[in-house]
Amino acid sequence: MIAGSGVATRGALGILFATVAAVIYLPIIVMIVFSFNSGRYQVMPFREFTFGWYRRTFQDVQYPEGFANSVAIASAVSVTATAIAFICAYSLVNSKFPGKTAVALFVLAPLAVPLILIGISLRIYFVSIGFEPSLALVYVGQVLYVMPLAVLNIRNRIAQIPKSQEEAAWALGASRIRSIIEIVVPSCRYSIAATLIITFTFAFDEFVIAYFLTNFSITLPIKIWTTLVTGFDPAINAVGVMVFAFSIALGIVAQALFMRKDRRS
Amino acid sequence: MVDAIDSSGASAGKPPVANLWQGILPALLLMGAFFIVPIGYMVGLSFAAPGSDGPTLANYENFFANERFTDALGRSLLMAGSAVAVASAIAYPLAYFLTFAVSRKRRLALLFLLIAPFWTSFTIRAFSWQLVLSDSGVVAYWLGKALGGPVSLGILYTMAASVFGLALFGVMLITLMLFSVMATIDERLLEANRDLGGGELRGFFEVVLPLSLPGWVVGAVLTFIICVGDYAVPTLLGGGFKPVLAQLMLSTLKGTYDLSMAATFAVILVLVVLIAAFPLSLLRNQTRLLQ
Repeated sequence: MIAGSGVATRGALGILFATVAAVIYLPIIVMIVFSFNSGRYQVMPFREFTFGWYRRTFQDVQYPEGFANSVAIASAVSVTATAIAFICAYSLVNSKFPGKTAVALFVLAPLAVPLILIGISLRIYFVSIGFEPSLALVYVGQVLYVMPLAVLNIRNRIAQIPKSQEEAAWALGASRIRSIIEIVVPSCRYSIAATLIITFTFAFDEFVIAYFLTNFSITLPIKIWTTLVTGFDPAINAVGVMVFAFSIALGIVAQALFMRKDRRS
Repeated sequence: MVDAIDSSGASAGKPPVANLWQGILPALLLMGAFFIVPIGYMVGLSFAAPGSDGPTLANYENFFANERFTDALGRSLLMAGSAVAVASAIAYPLAYFLTFAVSRKRRLALLFLLIAPFWTSFTIRAFSWQLVLSDSGVVAYWLGKALGGPVSLGILYTMAASVFGLALFGVMLITLMLFSVMATIDERLLEANRDLGGGELRGFFEVVLPLSLPGWVVGAVLTFIICVGDYAVPTLLGGGFKPVLAQLMLSTLKGTYDLSMAATFAVILVLVVLIAAFPLSLLRNQTRLLQ
C-alpha cells in the first residue's frame, strides 16, 4: 500500500497538497460568502447576511431565460452525442480494418483542439454560406466538443463486456440489433447514464463555443459573461454559487454511476 | 469459446454482420461536416484578401508585419508555456504524494477533492479568482490587516494573473495524467532501489520520473493546447490592454467582421496546436493513455 515514503517527505508533500487545495477552494469559499453579503461591493469586511442576491437572480428575466436555453441545448447535445458515441464505440470495439487506430484518434481529435477553434471555424463557415449565428449552431458545435468524451467513456465499458454473451444470443438466432438492444445496452446502462450526465454538464457550462456561435441569444454562461464584462452585478456571486452547486451535484451523480458499474463488472 | 457453441449451424455464434465499420460513419460524418470542412474553409479563406483574385499571402504578411499581432501570439505562447511550467512543478510532487504516500482509501477522496471544483465552468472559476486577486479582494484585505496598512497586490489584469488561473487548471489535469501512469509503476522497482541503498529522492529521479514521463507529456500537451487558445481567463484575469491571440480573434470577428483576417489568426493557432501536439506522436506505445 504505502511504498515506504519517508515521514518527513510525506509531511512536506502533505503540506503541499493542503496548500494547493486551499488555493483551489479559497476563491469558491469567498464567492459563497459574498453571495450572502448584503454589501453592494465585493469588499471586506462582511456586512449583513442576506438571501437578497439569490432572490434577485430569480426576479431577473435573463438568468431564467439563459438557464432554460442552456438546459434545452445541453439536453439535446447530451442525447445526440451519447447516441452517436455509443454506435461509434460499439463499432470500434467490434470491427477490424486497416487504419482503425487512426480513425479512432481522428474521432477523438476535438479533445486536443482549443474550443475557440471549433467556435470560430463553425462561425466563419456558416456565416459564409449564409447562416446566421444561432442556438442551433451552438448545438452542433457542442456535440462536436463532447462527443469524444462520450466515445471514451462508453468504449471502455463495451470493451469489458464478455463477448460470449452476445455470441450466445447470435447462436440462438438473435440479430445484431437485437443482441445490442438486449445485451450490450443493459450491460452499459450505468456508463450510458453517466455519459449522458457528463456530456450534459460539459455542454451546460460551455461558454466559448456558445459565445462565438450566437449574436443575441443567451445561454446561462453567456449571460454570466456579459454581466461580468459589462459592469458589476453583485447577484453574480449567487448565480455562480448555484451554477457551481448544480454542476458539482451532477458530477457526483455521474461518479456514483461509474462506481456502481465498476462494482458490477 | 466460439467453437464450443458453433455446433447448430454454420453461422451460429458468429456475428450476423461481420464488420461493423458503418457504425463509425455518423461520428465521421459529423467530424467531416462540422470540423474538417469548416477548418479547411478557414484555411482557404486565410489565403484570400480583398482586392486580390488568386490566392495570396497578404494576410500572413499583414500578421507578421504587425507588432500588435505578433505580440499577441507571443503572449499566448508565453502564457500557456508558463502555465504548463508552473503546473508541472506542482503536479509532479502532488501525483507522487497521491500515488506513493497515501493509503488507497484516502487517495480517491483526495483525488476527488482536487478535481471537484473543475466540474464547474471556467468562467465562474475565473470570476471567483478575481474576487481573491483584486486589490480590494480578500488576500489584499488580509495582508493589509496583517501589515497594518493598505496593500496593493497589482496582480489582477496582468499576465501573472492569467498564468495563475490557467496553472491551477493545469495542476489538476497534469496531476491526473501523472497519477494514472504512476499508479501502474511496479513498486518492487522502488523496493529494489531502497534495498540497494538508494534514498527516496533517487527512487524518484531514477524510477518514478522516467516511467511517468509519458503521462506528463500527455498532460502538459493538453494543458498547453487548452491554455494557448483560451479566451475567458486572459479576459477576466489578464485584462484586455495586452490581448492574447484568442482575444484578437474575437475582436476581429465580432468587431471588424474581417473574416479572412480572423481566419488567418485561427490558422496560425491551428499550426501552434499541431506543433504542440507533435510530442504525442512520439508516444506510439503509450497511445493507451489517450484512448
